[in-house]
Amino acid sequence: MTRRARITLPSLVLLLTLAFVWSLSVGAVKIPASVIINTLFDLDGDQQRFIINRSRLPRSLLAVLTGGAMALSGVIVQALLRNALASPKIIGINSGAALAVLLGTSLAPDLALAWLPLVALLGGTLAAGTIYGLSALRPMSPERLILVGIAVGLVCDAGVDFIMVTASTFEISAPLVWLTGSLWARGWQHLSAVWPFLSLLSALCLCLFFRLDLMRLGTSQATALGVNVRLERFVLLAIATLLASISVSVVGVIGFVGLMAPHIARQLVGGRHGVLLPTAMLIGALLVVLADATGRVLVPPLEISAGILTALFGAPFFVFILLTSRMETRE
Amino acid sequence: MSIELTDIRAGYGGFMLDQVTATIKAGELTALIGPNGCGKSTLLKTIARQLPLSAGTVRISGRDTAREPTKAIARQVAVLPQHPVVPPGISVGQLVGYGRAPHQNLFGVRSRTDQEKIEAALEAVAIADLRDRMVSELSGGQRQRAFLAMCVAQDTPYVLLDEPTSFLDIKYQYEVLELTETLHAAGKTIVAVLHDIGHAARFATNLVVMKDGRLYATGTPNQILTPELVEQVYGLRTRVYADPVTGSKMVSPVPNMQPSLGHETARTMCVGLD
Repeated sequence: MTRRARITLPSLVLLLTLAFVWSLSVGAVKIPASVIINTLFDLDGDQQRFIINRSRLPRSLLAVLTGGAMALSGVIVQALLRNALASPKIIGINSGAALAVLLGTSLAPDLALAWLPLVALLGGTLAAGTIYGLSALRPMSPERLILVGIAVGLVCDAGVDFIMVTASTFEISAPLVWLTGSLWARGWQHLSAVWPFLSLLSALCLCLFFRLDLMRLGTSQATALGVNVRLERFVLLAIATLLASISVSVVGVIGFVGLMAPHIARQLVGGRHGVLLPTAMLIGALLVVLADATGRVLVPPLEISAGILTALFGAPFFVFILLTSRMETRE
Repeated sequence: MSIELTDIRAGYGGFMLDQVTATIKAGELTALIGPNGCGKSTLLKTIARQLPLSAGTVRISGRDTAREPTKAIARQVAVLPQHPVVPPGISVGQLVGYGRAPHQNLFGVRSRTDQEKIEAALEAVAIADLRDRMVSELSGGQRQRAFLAMCVAQDTPYVLLDEPTSFLDIKYQYEVLELTETLHAAGKTIVAVLHDIGHAARFATNLVVMKDGRLYATGTPNQILTPELVEQVYGLRTRVYADPVTGSKMVSPVPNMQPSLGHETARTMCVGLD
């Protein structure tokens, strides 16, 4: 581990802890940090305890898990496609999930909100599976996978637009809020549904750092170094697809995290996946926790969706990082 | 100990290698030459199992590569691709370390031997002082040496090089070719696609000449490199003579007699030169 990594990783853990405590503290009802610590460790009984334990603790934990998962998914996709613009979106997850949710709610208006996550998971994995299947018809190249991904994504987006234009406002308002990516009203039941899968997949992904190092060298070189590229690419893409789809299924489309977090991490600690993966995961978690908490602070008691804030604050920061660092744009 | 190709058919979409049968003997520095599109890179990629075979077999040291696990082949054959992908944020030392992957487990845990081979490779290619530099910041010549060092660290009896000198200045071309010669002298069997006949004649101990997806001729440069061969294969009239110092064959086009250019084109070029 390089010196930069030894400084960066603990700093990120510290920052994430602070952001987490802040996230528990802010919202329509402000709770001082001292009370939070008291609550987490001593269990006083009152209104604050209720808010923290029932609402903010699960949603902040969910922010950490899904933010980290989306970032890891982004690292995998960027390593496999060797493209700076690649993100889980490229393999169709966002558009597929969005289309599935809107289709589901317009075809079955009685569909309970509780079913949306499953519908989204199905849509995301179906879109990713379609893209992979179509790209695998001929010897697979990153370029073809990206172009097929964009094509399938556009078809899904067209479907989303069609439904949004033809449906009445009332029918689609709930899925629309969900689509912008929000942690509003997410609780223990959401967390308990996804945490085993997300933590298992994240752990698996962290273990595969050396495989990603080798895949990043390109198909020819990876093969020459003894990698069974077809098998490993399939396994890695499946992990990336599940990480992103499961995240999208509970928190909606929090755009940009899967694209930004890996880039920021690479600027901080370099390209070796052994350090890049945990760094990106921490940054992804930090971004979503901060976006969610900020969304509660700005105009209480209303909330601004985390998805809107990650794009709003993330994009300028992202451009700043790219302009100020020695970005390696050449392959 | 050799590479045996039997009735190979392979290739991208339209183009196919057609019934190529050849033996590349162990211990040789073999150059694959031929005009653009003749299939020499395709043949190299097929040997390296980077392109699937449609028919025929490739045997390396007697073992059918289609039946071997990729990792087992990677312990036998190292490959320098024509356009290596430069991963962002990776140092020279890390890159060379990846060469040990075929000898490591899934997690790339390094043994003492791995460490020693990496050091030796950095020394052999004289880039030990660049080990902490980012590969993406290197010049073309340094970058090519870094990838060559990765092949050396892989510690294989066979090394395949796909146009290792393209895009390099003449100084670095010779640097890479001389390194190749050193590796050959150290006992490795080397197969290199070269687009420069002069390089092939000077450095190779064995030539494999290809034309239109078929094997056209094989032999030592001194045996087979003649004006007739070059005209038949490349469609260019040349003189072939011995280098006064090294004695290796040199090929020089006969002026103004390129048969591949039509009469009109040749005249237009002359007008252009006025």
